[in-house]
Amino acid sequence: MIKQFINFEWKQFIRSSYFQKGIAIKILLVFLVLYFGGAALMLGIGLFFILKEVLPTLDPIVVVNNFLIYWLLFDLVIRFFMQQLPVMNIKPLMIIPVKRNTVIHYLLGKTVISFFNFMPIFIFLPFSIVLLSEGYPVLNVVCWFFATLFLGLSNNFLNFLINKSNVVFYVLISVLAILIGSEYFNIFKISAPIGTAFNALYNNPWFSLIPFSLMIGLYYINYSFIKNEFYLDDAVSKKIKEVNATDLSWMNRFGSVAIFLKNDVKLIWRNARPKQVMMMSFLFLFYGLIFFTNKMYSDSPAWLAFAAMFVTGGFLMTFGQLVPSWDSEYYKMLMSQNIPYKKYLESKWYLMVFGVTLSFILSTPYIYFGWKIYGLIVAGALFNIGLNSFITLFGGALNRVPIELNVKAKAFSNTNGFNPTQMLISLPKLFLPMLLFYLPYKFINFEAGLFVLGFCGILGIVFKNFFLNKIEKIYQTGKYKTIAAFGEK
Amino acid sequence: MIKTTELSKKYGAVTVLNIADLQIPKGQAFGLVGNNGAGKTTYFNLLLDLIKPTTGNVTNHEIQVNASEAWKPFTAAFIDESFLIGYLTPEEYFYFIGELRGMNKADIDAFLAQFDEIFNGEILKKKKYLRDLSKGNQKKVGIIAALIGRPEVIVLDEPFANLDPTTQIRLKKLLKDLTAASNATLLISSHDLGHVTEVCDRIVVLEKGEIVKDLITSAETLQELEAYFSV
Repeated sequence: MIKQFINFEWKQFIRSSYFQKGIAIKILLVFLVLYFGGAALMLGIGLFFILKEVLPTLDPIVVVNNFLIYWLLFDLVIRFFMQQLPVMNIKPLMIIPVKRNTVIHYLLGKTVISFFNFMPIFIFLPFSIVLLSEGYPVLNVVCWFFATLFLGLSNNFLNFLINKSNVVFYVLISVLAILIGSEYFNIFKISAPIGTAFNALYNNPWFSLIPFSLMIGLYYINYSFIKNEFYLDDAVSKKIKEVNATDLSWMNRFGSVAIFLKNDVKLIWRNARPKQVMMMSFLFLFYGLIFFTNKMYSDSPAWLAFAAMFVTGGFLMTFGQLVPSWDSEYYKMLMSQNIPYKKYLESKWYLMVFGVTLSFILSTPYIYFGWKIYGLIVAGALFNIGLNSFITLFGGALNRVPIELNVKAKAFSNTNGFNPTQMLISLPKLFLPMLLFYLPYKFINFEAGLFVLGFCGILGIVFKNFFLNKIEKIYQTGKYKTIAAFGEK
Repeated sequence: MIKTTELSKKYGAVTVLNIADLQIPKGQAFGLVGNNGAGKTTYFNLLLDLIKPTTGNVTNHEIQVNASEAWKPFTAAFIDESFLIGYLTPEEYFYFIGELRGMNKADIDAFLAQFDEIFNGEILKKKKYLRDLSKGNQKKVGIIAALIGRPEVIVLDEPFANLDPTTQIRLKKLLKDLTAASNATLLISSHDLGHVTEVCDRIVVLEKGEIVKDLITSAETLQELEAYFSV
């Protein structure tokens, strides 16, 4: 029976929509996987030597052990957002004559074959090999390696439980924040005792039985959990949440596009996928920190301009580039209702302006880095509103991939709304402003660069109707293709 | 008046619809019947400009649907669940459609009050998203939403499918009252010959994309249709 299941799984894999896509996507995906795998591999090999170099007084394995807890917590958070759980596929298996136990073991076993479980192997296996070649005791290293593997798998099963309860998740997030905060401000170094524990784990090989039993324990909690709820109205079914309707009538002041804006707010608030994307776009706000604190970049203003675009453009680049896919589930209705196409596009434009403005307000603390940096963020925000918004909408006309709103995106197995054209379109969004800033900066001065960047944005706003009309024509031309593509699931 | 001229739709070499001439006068209750693949939904999709005709065109009140958007204000449709916005509650969805058709919340509340019977206490104020309603209840929402704002042309694809018997009967009455009380043109398709003969003034039978029968409903129509389909 398990053989049958594996056969189904294989078919699901090779027949899924992303695999049927063009060769370019496949190459890109392979490239991405190779890149991340390769990066992890390099890190795994190099880690020992890097640590030796940076902290010559400490044993690298001790340093790694001290930070292992952060790796595990981080891993858990990433899993929560990215890892798709396979529960939903139980339904067709419920009434066929297969033992429940077989189905459940299979389901849980299946989660083991996930990208997230391979990542630690890529890092810790080479690291362990390097340790061995450096003459560390074999038994200790091998047991330690398996212990990390067991801990990763424990995360895998823990994630399942967390997904069933938001409370667990928020508790975890708060604990993580407090720990990192207290560590950073030297209030309480939690990494010390936990690090000691992991070091003890390394020094006493038979201690790795603890993570092993932890993994087995979590596996059985999951097992009994699914077994108890192996009914249509429990674990298998999606949760039906009660509506919390919020009054958005204050948005009516935005005139004729208010009606669409209200819908979009609900769209973001009530669906898993847009929520996920919103989280991503929030992280973009902090992108500037990498650049503005780094001496290497702070001397080359073109890169600062690049970073400034990201600070206010997160929403535009993550959410905006999937317009109109967000409305794919009911696109036919929008196309036959009493909605002029231009109004629809205009509402999406306002939504992006909204996103940029909000990011801009939230980016106020960047004043700390000085007025020059803040000036760049202001000019960048103007450019995002005035021109990048239109480029994004234009790119959307070529985007015909439907999105399942209430399903989380999976890492590397979901290319929803992502295609090579989209990549090409997003290049000018980043490099055009860099160029527009850099040329006047090079030939006149910093302020001239700011002025040109901001002025281009303002020009875009002034010629809004012109751009919208042009974009509307492109959307109209592709209308039937888009409707047909959105209809395919 | 909905005028269809030389309309055809081909997918590759397969012709799925081919209507040389079809005129539906204003105010008519028009029924489309035919087996699976006969082209009913294709015709509605062409009428709503959701797919591109291979040849010919449809004009809705003198407006060629694939050339102008001006037919949208007076046309309403419910084809399938993709006409619903899953993450809204039924109320929010009705308000949304209402706003598109120039009706405020109070208008919509008054409008919805007359459908209490059809909703049967399962739709409004249930704090549920549309995506979590049953298929039948989703259908009710879609049909009622298509009636918002007194549209002059109403297109319903298989309105009776998935509905419980009581609601089917109530919906028949509702549609009959609607066409009697207003001058709206109603276009429906159905697999239930009984329902369609009861509701419609005129019935067109499609087979493999061609019109094979065009009947003005009379006492004998049901028999004639049953005879035609019992092969």
